[in-house]
Amino acid sequence: MIQTIHLHHLLRESPSGDSRCLVTRPTGAAVRNSIERALEASPCVTVFLDFTEVDLLDLSCADEVVAKFLLGALASECYVVLSNLREDQIDAVDHVLRHHRLAVATVPCDEGASANLLGWVDEDTRAAFSSVVDMGPTTAELLAADLNWPFDRAQRALSTLATRRLARAEHGAFYPLPLR
Amino acid sequence: MTRVVQVPASFDDRSFDQFAEACGEWPPDARLLIDARLTQWFSPYGLVGLLTAGQALKDAGLPQPLFTAPQSDDVKRYLARTGFFTHAEGLFEIHGRVPKAATGPTDALLDIRAIRAMKDVHEAVRGVSDNATRILVEQLGINPKETYGFGMALSEACQNIVEHAGAAGWVAVQSYTWRRRLGRRVVVIAVSDSGVGFRHSLEATHARQYGERWGDGAAIEAALIQNVSRFRDPGRGQGLAFIKRFIHQWNGKISIRSGTARLSIVPDWDDDAPLAEHLPRFPGAQVQITIPAPGAAAS
Repeated sequence: MIQTIHLHHLLRESPSGDSRCLVTRPTGAAVRNSIERALEASPCVTVFLDFTEVDLLDLSCADEVVAKFLLGALASECYVVLSNLREDQIDAVDHVLRHHRLAVATVPCDEGASANLLGWVDEDTRAAFSSVVDMGPTTAELLAADLNWPFDRAQRALSTLATRRLARAEHGAFYPLPLR
Repeated sequence: MTRVVQVPASFDDRSFDQFAEACGEWPPDARLLIDARLTQWFSPYGLVGLLTAGQALKDAGLPQPLFTAPQSDDVKRYLARTGFFTHAEGLFEIHGRVPKAATGPTDALLDIRAIRAMKDVHEAVRGVSDNATRILVEQLGINPKETYGFGMALSEACQNIVEHAGAAGWVAVQSYTWRRRLGRRVVVIAVSDSGVGFRHSLEATHARQYGERWGDGAAIEAALIQNVSRFRDPGRGQGLAFIKRFIHQWNGKISIRSGTARLSIVPDWDDDAPLAEHLPRFPGAQVQITIPAPGAAAS
């Protein structure tokens, strides 16, 4: 099950009362706390953080909302996907995630564009992610054949995806996150 | 005893040290009379710097300084429109007739705002976003999709006041033409506070590793170049890192003055010294971010 959290709704309820600008650390911390409260009561294993109608996202707020959320305990129990980020917001999130050596999946606003990873990931992990998204569930053998890699390399890349909760591992197979 | 501080005829980041020197040692041992009668032009940096001087004297419990308004009606009207006199009322004993209320449009993306708490940062960001896109697109020829960076840079610069200064600060954003220095239109974000300054803010956590080099210049270098913060939170220090990326993207300039030093990241169109030390002491920190129109001739 997927839970979609619209950040501009949480922003409107934050002490800033500003429903469009995700700026300043206290605002980011308040929004993160709201996300965590919403998830505590949720049975969903995948959460979409939807940035629709968020005008401005500064780095301090991106650090509080996204990076610190991913570093927290709740994020280790679910799969997190960011949706509808604009280009400048992608830059901000990517910057803070690289700083912390974190990564997250993102679904762009453009219906035709494919899902992507933001943050700190090596090239093999990125390639494995794209392959899982494009081809659907896979195994290390299939990925190795698809990308013409040795088995160990494919296994390592898929394990990294699973460990970082960028793909779901089940009975030796690796499943893409539900990205739509 | 009263010390007369002459405000330079053109008061901006370049003439600021002249003003700081005229103020004398901080805290001053005499009441200051800040004489702006002959001043013909104020940059946003000059205006927020003046308010900082007034705020620092107020914070120190020193006698309220006097301020003589510019003689030029045009200059007075301009100061009124930026909101300078409104903010200055509580800080200076103002002499000379000043316009009662702000009138007429300005090229300011953001009139002078006081920054005391995070809610002021939100208001400044909201204020600039109302006007910014139009001015940035029409006057600087910037793609509307690329204007968000201005709001982000403004937000990060203002947050530093609340998080690090421990005192009130001011921000102003303006667009105008630098005919002599650049021959192009620029957007200038000026931020100034009367707080503890970079050196004091970072001393407890970073002075030791700099050893004898530690001082105002080293402290600004630690924050701007090394992106260090006084907070142990590993996510800190990214605000100035973003501002550096932003000015690099636009071939802009950032200059930070704190205490007796000024450190700048200098683009090829400017001849400022990257590091200036042993400057006349001035309270708090002053930041100027300058973004030129991309390659266009002056309008």
